Amino acid sequence: MKETFPGSRVLILGGSCEIALTLVLYLIEASLLPILTYRNERGLRSIREALMPFAGRYETHHLNFGDRASLDTLFRSIDDDLDFLIDFVQEDYESFIASADEERICRFFADNVSFRAEILKRAGRAMLKKRRGRLIYISSSAAERPNPGQGFYAAAKLASEALYRNMGLEMGERGITTAILRPGYVDAGRGAIFMRKHGRVLLEMIPVKRAITQEEIAQTILFLLSDSAIGINATAIVLDGGLTAGK
Amino acid sequence: MDIFAEIEIILTELLDLEEKEITPDTYLIQDLGAESIDLLELAVAINSRFRVPVKDDDIFLTRFRQYMAEAEEQGTGAVPYIAEKYPFLAKDRIGEIVSRMTEGGPQLKIKDLVNYVMFQSRGV
Repeated sequence: MKETFPGSRVLILGGSCEIALTLVLYLIEASLLPILTYRNERGLRSIREALMPFAGRYETHHLNFGDRASLDTLFRSIDDDLDFLIDFVQEDYESFIASADEERICRFFADNVSFRAEILKRAGRAMLKKRRGRLIYISSSAAERPNPGQGFYAAAKLASEALYRNMGLEMGERGITTAILRPGYVDAGRGAIFMRKHGRVLLEMIPVKRAITQEEIAQTILFLLSDSAIGINATAIVLDGGLTAGK
Repeated sequence: MDIFAEIEIILTELLDLEEKEITPDTYLIQDLGAESIDLLELAVAINSRFRVPVKDDDIFLTRFRQYMAEAEEQGTGAVPYIAEKYPFLAKDRIGEIVSRMTEGGPQLKIKDLVNYVMFQSRGV
């Protein structure tokens, strides 16, 4: 069945990460317009290199999490016009709680939770003009099952999930809905590094005995954007091969 | 531009008010039945229509009771204290709201929205 979509403009926060770049290929194939944000020149280069054959079929804009001026510029640049938002952004701060630096704790939550709430406010108000919108937050199975040292990461993920969930509760009646995706171990980004470090033992813990692929995540996100998935609102979907289902 | 007339058009559309008469003294919540999501949509529509910055807490007088309590704590008069917080409201209007607060229910009127837009327009 060919999926249909309630809009075309897809704002992707954290557009230079591997999974986002994989997703973009599916979005372009579905005739949607990816609008990718990048934090720095290196991110912009990654996007341009990965998407070289697709020049003109996507947009890029600068957004630095924690920087309100860059948020203003972003929404002005896209003229407050977006149908979907997909949020991949997550700074990592690995530390035992009892050894964390106080200043870093405050900044981490300001950037990764408070600033995200500001983004949601802007996106929600922009979508309200159309009375239509779909927001997808890419969380992690570590939100529920963190390893030692992942307390801040998990706390930011859970807090951000709560923001997205409430957006769906509050604005669902105006056609603006949300969904949260919690991937488990993924063969990309931080997940790939972690798996290289811990090898086969880690995969043995997953009922399907393998990591989740970037393509699986991208295809699931594409489904969540589609008309078929609109009923999935204000909830989290776990995509971890069964990792967190058992002991 | 007739700000009241424009706001009337916005409200009629947002709240589906074909049959209802709106005047500057109409209560937004008590008379028109606006709910939280309607207020949010109204703020977005006002921002879009008049091109003025809209702070929801200000335009909808969300913190009015809190400011009254703060004025009392500080031993200062409620009207001058609130006039500093909501400079778009005339002092007699603030006094009117203060006196009616004990009756309960939100006191926001359409004319308060008009005054907010007029005030913000001066700064644009």
